[in-house]
Amino acid sequence: MAYRSQKIANWYFKIALLLFVLQVVLGLWLAFNYSFTVSQGVVDTFSFATARAMHTNLLVLWMLLGFMGGTYYIVPEETKSEIYSPALAWFQLITLVVTGVVALVGFFFGWTQGRPLLEIPRPLDIVVVIGALVFLFNIAMTMIKARRWTAIQGTLLGGLVFLALLYLFGIPFYKNEVIDWYYWWWVIHLWVEGAWELVTAAILAFILIKLTGVDRKVVEKWLYVELGLFLFTGIVGTGHHYYWIGAPRYWLWFGGIFSALEPLPILLMLIDTMNHVKERKLEIRNPLTWTIAIGCAVLHMIGAGVLGFMHTLPQINYYTHGSQVTVSHGHLAFFGAYALLNLLVFYYAMPKLKGIDVYDPTRGKIGFWIMSGSMTLMAVTFGIAGVLQSYLERVLGMGYMTAQSYMQLWMRVTMVLGVIFFAGLLVTVTDLFTLRPARAKNK
Amino acid sequence: MSKKVAFWIFMIGTISSALLFLWLTWDTHRQVEVLSNADKLSPEVVAGKRVFEKYNCNDCHTILGFGGYYAPDLTKVVKRVGEEGIRYRVTSPEKAFASSSRKMPNQGLTKGEIDKLVAFFTWVGEIDNNDWPPQDSSRRLTRGEEVMVASAGLSPGAAVFQRRGCMNCHSLHGKGGSFGPALDAIGRKLSMEKIEHYIIDPKAVNPKALMPPQKELSQKETEAVARFLANLQ
Repeated sequence: MAYRSQKIANWYFKIALLLFVLQVVLGLWLAFNYSFTVSQGVVDTFSFATARAMHTNLLVLWMLLGFMGGTYYIVPEETKSEIYSPALAWFQLITLVVTGVVALVGFFFGWTQGRPLLEIPRPLDIVVVIGALVFLFNIAMTMIKARRWTAIQGTLLGGLVFLALLYLFGIPFYKNEVIDWYYWWWVIHLWVEGAWELVTAAILAFILIKLTGVDRKVVEKWLYVELGLFLFTGIVGTGHHYYWIGAPRYWLWFGGIFSALEPLPILLMLIDTMNHVKERKLEIRNPLTWTIAIGCAVLHMIGAGVLGFMHTLPQINYYTHGSQVTVSHGHLAFFGAYALLNLLVFYYAMPKLKGIDVYDPTRGKIGFWIMSGSMTLMAVTFGIAGVLQSYLERVLGMGYMTAQSYMQLWMRVTMVLGVIFFAGLLVTVTDLFTLRPARAKNK
Repeated sequence: MSKKVAFWIFMIGTISSALLFLWLTWDTHRQVEVLSNADKLSPEVVAGKRVFEKYNCNDCHTILGFGGYYAPDLTKVVKRVGEEGIRYRVTSPEKAFASSSRKMPNQGLTKGEIDKLVAFFTWVGEIDNNDWPPQDSSRRLTRGEEVMVASAGLSPGAAVFQRRGCMNCHSLHGKGGSFGPALDAIGRKLSMEKIEHYIIDPKAVNPKALMPPQKELSQKETEAVARFLANLQ
């Protein structure tokens, strides 16, 4: 740690981790709902819908807090200056966390916007926007005052502004269900396959420079190429969500072709990461940080690139759309691309914030491998359930619940894997909260 | 490749895709008016959308394929279970799903709210969305229907039985739902007239019947399906 104001990042990380734990607890409850019969009385008070709203909103909240914390850590080092206003950073953290808690409690009592992933009620949306504006102002002012611009901080700021702008399209009430979904995807798709990718690419580039010592010019050059490809394929690629919503037929072509290209930038990012690691100029001090960086690139490729590609062609998507196939892709993509990216930031920054140069990686390694292994298997079991559903319900025309009964076994296996994942997560979180220096023999 | 070239790859890639996307967005807005029958978006339908959102239906059910995957898709729900079927499920889910392994919460909707909800679903069902979902496609029989129609000697009643949602509750040869009894040998118990009567007013034949009256079926459809069922012995 070189700058005092970086310390605020630690609080963002810690709260993000606790919310991650809560997210997985709710995920287990959802899996239980699929695996066993929940009685009418329980369903009437705490429905699957409410739990799902909590599970998904916690995901967004903890990941955004992780990104923000990461930004507060990175920007001082990139600009070589302190954060413009640590007080605003505090204010913004408290605002967002309080809003999140109010929203979660509200869901339980039926206070909701009622649109998947965007359940946060409109009055709270305004608070979220204020929080985001304060954050952007703080970051932008830091950069402007420092008068030092790098491609990494430009990308980071650009991605965050883009992210905040897109959120606005999720706030209005749309009378027409078709138009509603059209703009819903501006938030969801253009976030995860646009703005979040920008933030991720910038953070990954920063950490790679620090870890490998590879020339900044080289890293930033590839950053530009990746971003160009991400946005070229990703923006029009939004069309793969417009096949069956009542939008014009040409989206089958635009969506199909552009999203078939979407794995390319992810593949480039993977190759690029491997190359930087191979040509490193610094010695490996914390092997776990490296493992997570490579795990992130690999699972990002499999979860987002391969699994996404597999059911993005209209001919396949006609049968798999809105089935557990989507769930399989969603889980591994979010975990690979964004959960591991956040964990990479945590494992890079938290030891430094604590003043630990080389940390003891034993527990972290256990946590990483348990989580990555069980999540990969979960993608497989969700995938099996999804293929069964597509075939039985969509191709053979069986009733919804009849098809579900054949899938139940796989949902039970998923639940067991979920429990294993949870164990891995607890190990990881405990480790990050109680990081210790490695024993002397490593030195 | 220099950093400058890389920068221009970034700029051109981003801007070209964004411009194309914005142009398509403009055109989509124009065409959706027709594809979604926007002229039929009455205040009743819009109010129904608000009801749909108020009760967070969309976090268990998908609509147009988006939402929770815990319960059936609602795009063509009116066609599949009928208006009465929707009313029955929303008003008394504890009865409708009593023998189902998955329950639906009773959220105490008023009758007015349910009317609006039905209007909303009716409008959604008419959207021209490239014939999705396949299981409710009207352009072709599903494989299950084909098998069934063939095995029943191409009876039109068999097609009605599948297409009008009877199989959401009843099963034939182990295929179909389990809320209602299996109907493999129903012809042994009930005559064609009795079955016809049952479909129109279940409680009149069996006071303990849970099945809602099938008001959506035309007289011809009712006859056809009753003839088909009476022959299952």
